Amino acid sequence: MDTDSAYLQPYLPILVLLLLAGVMCFAISILAGYLGPKRTFPIKETAFECGSPTTGDPHSRHSVKFYLVALLFIVFDIESVFIYPWGALLRDFAAQGLGWFAYLEMLSFMATLALGLVYVWRKGALEWS
Amino acid sequence: MSFNAADLQGVLPAIILSVGALFLLTSEVFLRNVRPAVLGHAGGIPTSPAERVEAKLPPGAQGASPSAVTPPDRRYQAWVAAAFAALGLWASLAQLGDPAIAIFNGTAASDGFARVVAAVVCGSLLLSCLVAFGYLEALRATRGEFYALALFSASGMCLLGQATDLIVIFIALEVMSLAVYCLSAYLRRGNRPAEAAFKYFVLGSFASAIFLYGAALAYGATASTRLVDIAAALRGGGSGLLWAAAALLVVGFAFKVAAVPFHMWVPDVYDGAPAPVTGFMAAAVKVAAFATLVRILLGGFGDPVAALGAHGWQRLVVWLAGLTMVVGNLLAIPQRSVKRMLAYSSIAHAGYLLVAVAAMAGPLPRQDAIGGLLFYLASYGATVIGAFGVVAIIERKLALSGAGDDLSSWAGLSERHPALAAAMSLFMVSLAGIPPTAGFMAKLTVFRAAVSAELVPLAVLGVLTSVGGLYYYLRVVVYVYMMPTTKPDAVMGERLVAAGLALIGCAVLVVWMGVQPGAFASVAQNAVAVFSR
Repeated sequence: MDTDSAYLQPYLPILVLLLLAGVMCFAISILAGYLGPKRTFPIKETAFECGSPTTGDPHSRHSVKFYLVALLFIVFDIESVFIYPWGALLRDFAAQGLGWFAYLEMLSFMATLALGLVYVWRKGALEWS
Repeated sequence: MSFNAADLQGVLPAIILSVGALFLLTSEVFLRNVRPAVLGHAGGIPTSPAERVEAKLPPGAQGASPSAVTPPDRRYQAWVAAAFAALGLWASLAQLGDPAIAIFNGTAASDGFARVVAAVVCGSLLLSCLVAFGYLEALRATRGEFYALALFSASGMCLLGQATDLIVIFIALEVMSLAVYCLSAYLRRGNRPAEAAFKYFVLGSFASAIFLYGAALAYGATASTRLVDIAAALRGGGSGLLWAAAALLVVGFAFKVAAVPFHMWVPDVYDGAPAPVTGFMAAAVKVAAFATLVRILLGGFGDPVAALGAHGWQRLVVWLAGLTMVVGNLLAIPQRSVKRMLAYSSIAHAGYLLVAVAAMAGPLPRQDAIGGLLFYLASYGATVIGAFGVVAIIERKLALSGAGDDLSSWAGLSERHPALAAAMSLFMVSLAGIPPTAGFMAKLTVFRAAVSAELVPLAVLGVLTSVGGLYYYLRVVVYVYMMPTTKPDAVMGERLVAAGLALIGCAVLVVWMGVQPGAFASVAQNAVAVFSR
């Protein structure tokens, strides 16, 4: 325990600063809420959007296909993340007599991903319209 | 570093299941080209994908109007999935006698334990596929990926049974869990399935994160993710970090096996998921999670001379087991829905299984405890898939009449369907643990192991809570045989050949394991030589 507290000693001022900052923020906003003058009238209460009245419900639904794009991007991004070090290390694998193994392993990985691409394509996930 | 064919042979069941899943996915997307006539029925748009065509049906559309487009016939998928599951079962059983080896540079093991786990997983998958045949069509929730997801999750489970590295365990856990999350959301119409799936997903991710935190702490304390290296580091003296790691790893899996107090998701998820999926989850997910728990606790933290001590994690598991048995059984008593009752019963059974895990920390009879655990998992799997199979058939009938899953709809089942009633009674008796069935032998072996591991209070608590369990299991039998039918049943017309086959298989297994446990117990005993000292 002693070693731990000695290790943490230099960080004490930062902790104090964080606490002070937090207290200041809350104190100022709460005080402003109590002390500040309030003059409300109907127009001030209405929703306001870039100088013009709002149109429609502010909680609108977003199309889910953006999430699909992100997901597909991650999948194929990871493919390239795997292939790059594999390509860089293939000579070393071959030197150890594992060349064919590494080659076939990557082929099976890419074949699996290709099947996934076929699936995504046929399901219509690549048609953005 | 070296690789050879034995590595691939060691994960053969997982490979077979993955190939099956890929085959189903590929065949699914080419389906409308193979059978355009089925899809383009009466004025539909043959060019639009099947998914969209189906989405146009109003929710809960019962008798589809003649102008609606019928989806392609996907019933072949159940048989294909069942065939691949049988192939995986054969592959794991064929290797049963082979010597135990470490594969993939010690990140996984191919030993008797892993093979028995893979066999139980594949067997559960096989029976569940048969139960599920035609189920989705009957509930009008057909989409193509159901069996592919089941195969993917089963391949993750097979890997979980043999992983001996925390990172491989995590990957296998996610392969299993992600597929099961999707499966539990399959009946997506209505609020209950959505709520169930969302709850399961959030809490499951939470459990995975806790497991990952534990793995990170274990790595921080021992500089390795291999269970062997963790055990070696423990022999040199443990630390507070390792205690925290062990606790977090156990908590992560306590979520997955539904131990109290991490059981909140179980009733909602089991209730909202399609009944065949619930059976598969109760049987196979439990098998995989318990297998991994045993590997982590015995392979990583189980060394008797280790710094945590032989009883280091035992106290933790004893408390979990006691709480789980008591709370699971008590909460099952007031349930009116059979599915929810079976969900709480599954929590209670997790408690009995944890008794076996706690007994493994004892000084000598570790083999008995592990053998008992495997036997219990196999017998519980056969029983619970059978029970949910009957529930699935009742659900199919009820879907046509629109009634709920209340005990009252089971009243007088024996008059309408004597065979179904007999099967349900057999499974209830086995779950309660009454002699001529598998459930009795399983409880006997587990409690005997607990007694010889000097956990007598836990064994006594187990027996007492199973007596309490008799009430709610036998209540179903009472409703089935002694209550008069409240309302005339909907038309029964269809013959459910596949589901019938699955129920017969489950019933035969339940009786066989109860009458001749020696054959199965010896397989389980041989499988645990890996963990002997």
